[in-house]
Amino acid sequence: MLEIRNVWKTFHPGTPNEVRALQGVDLTLEDGSFTIIIGTNGSGKSTTLNAVAGSFFVDEGQLRIGGTDVTRWPEHRRASLIGRVFQNPFSGTAPSLSIAENFSLAARRGLSRGLGPALGSRMKAEMRDAVRQLNMGLEARLDNAIGTLSGGQRQALTLLMAAWRKPQLLLLDEHTAALDPKSADQVIALSETLIARDRLTTLMVTHSMQQAASLGDRLIMMHRGKVIHDLRGAEKARVRPADLLERFEELRRSELLDESAAEMLERLYV
Amino acid sequence: MNLLLGAAAIGFILSLLALGVYVSFRIFEFSDITAEGSITTGAAIAAVLLTHGWAPLTATFAGALGGMCAGTVTGLLATRCGINRLLSGILTMTALYSINLRIMGKSNIPLTNDHTMVSQAEAWGKAAFGKSTLAIWGWEVAVRDASLLIMVPALILVVCLALYFFLHTNLGTAMRATGDNAQMIRALGVDDGVMVVFGLALSNGLIALGGALLAQYQGFADVQMGIGMVVWGLASVIIGEALVGTRKLGYAITGTVMGSVLFRLLVAVALRWGLNPNDLKLITAAFVLAALIVPNALKSLKQKPRSLTHA
Repeated sequence: MLEIRNVWKTFHPGTPNEVRALQGVDLTLEDGSFTIIIGTNGSGKSTTLNAVAGSFFVDEGQLRIGGTDVTRWPEHRRASLIGRVFQNPFSGTAPSLSIAENFSLAARRGLSRGLGPALGSRMKAEMRDAVRQLNMGLEARLDNAIGTLSGGQRQALTLLMAAWRKPQLLLLDEHTAALDPKSADQVIALSETLIARDRLTTLMVTHSMQQAASLGDRLIMMHRGKVIHDLRGAEKARVRPADLLERFEELRRSELLDESAAEMLERLYV
Repeated sequence: MNLLLGAAAIGFILSLLALGVYVSFRIFEFSDITAEGSITTGAAIAAVLLTHGWAPLTATFAGALGGMCAGTVTGLLATRCGINRLLSGILTMTALYSINLRIMGKSNIPLTNDHTMVSQAEAWGKAAFGKSTLAIWGWEVAVRDASLLIMVPALILVVCLALYFFLHTNLGTAMRATGDNAQMIRALGVDDGVMVVFGLALSNGLIALGGALLAQYQGFADVQMGIGMVVWGLASVIIGEALVGTRKLGYAITGTVMGSVLFRLLVAVALRWGLNPNDLKLITAAFVLAALIVPNALKSLKQKPRSLTHA
């Protein structure tokens, strides 16, 4: 479904702020798989998602979705294949538009937008049913501006909107990191329901080891712009938060070793 | 009385300017000052075509079309060439000054003897009322003013309804969302750059339509007539927001028209009381400045005591 082939990306090349964010990422997602990405800060996990979504063009490598090469497609064109939920609950909705209007925008993701009325009565009925399943009482507030809702409510709506037209690929970028624990649990439960219902191919970045261990059928660990662990099937099912923390600790130790080794070499030879 | 009627008529005509400013400044959060040039472009194109004997309606809409082109240029500069938004507007506005002179061939075109929408409205009024003055509540009112005060608001109503329904179409909703959250609308498959170009074309089309009507109302097009217009439009939008107290679309559009009329009436009264017309732009600018600063100042005043208790 998704193929990431040897993707490289350097931000601000040739300046003191140079960041080599992706250093040859290779990853293939099968149709209907639910893959979790974890990694240290700056490991390139969110950058990988943004590269797939088209927030920027990659320096090298290839991106294919459903067999189509999208490497040079601009962000808005890739959106016809991709549903996205961002870390910031305010990023996924237009605050001064009503809930219903936000949905009408999502209902035409990847379709042309002409002079037809954005809100038909049939669409409103459909979205009312969908919103009712959130159990947040929002079905009575479809005409309220979305900016008046809480972060958790907005994130739940963004998720519904992203999955509305069954995207070929769903990208979740730490979409519960900015929520309070209760809202985060609600949004995670909703994510699981939607992904299972439509068998959505999903790539999810998270900071939570709990989520990484309990969700999905495949777990990717990234470090320094590369995939370093890839757990699937029974191996993924066995994994516990403590195991993951241990792997992070391992990484930290090897980094320390690297640094002390470098220091020693410097002392000896410079 | 005639003074106020005239001011109200200008207020309605310039509500098109205010609506255009509303679209660019409020819906798109795009500080577009192309308006200063495009309002003159609308007037210039309409005036030239009218003196060549074109039908008033066609000439007026040709003027609006000119404004749409100007807006498109600013939009392309800002989105495709990546030029700072304010600078894009300044570039187009500056270029338009020469273009407007080219269109007009001279710096002022009088329209006193030409068949215009205003003379048309006056002719209809005379045919309907059968005389050239009316007595309304004891006031002597020229039929020209009375018929204009029927025709202009009717036209504005049509434009407002068209704008309202347009902004509720799939395209219009996507345009509103672009100003609200460009990141979100890109993620939903819309090229936000294209939306900005459409929006500025719409905004400047409305503004040029206002310019074309204004030229016909005041009986001339002048190459200087656009100076200060953005601030006037902004003042109308701000007054409108204060009047309706919400940014909900239908109310905001109504409020903007009301704001424009009220602003013109205030200006007429102030001038009548002896305000020097030369000071008008200074006072308008000061008003807009105050409207931009005061809400924030009040907010920080309210918050200060609280932060002290925390400390």
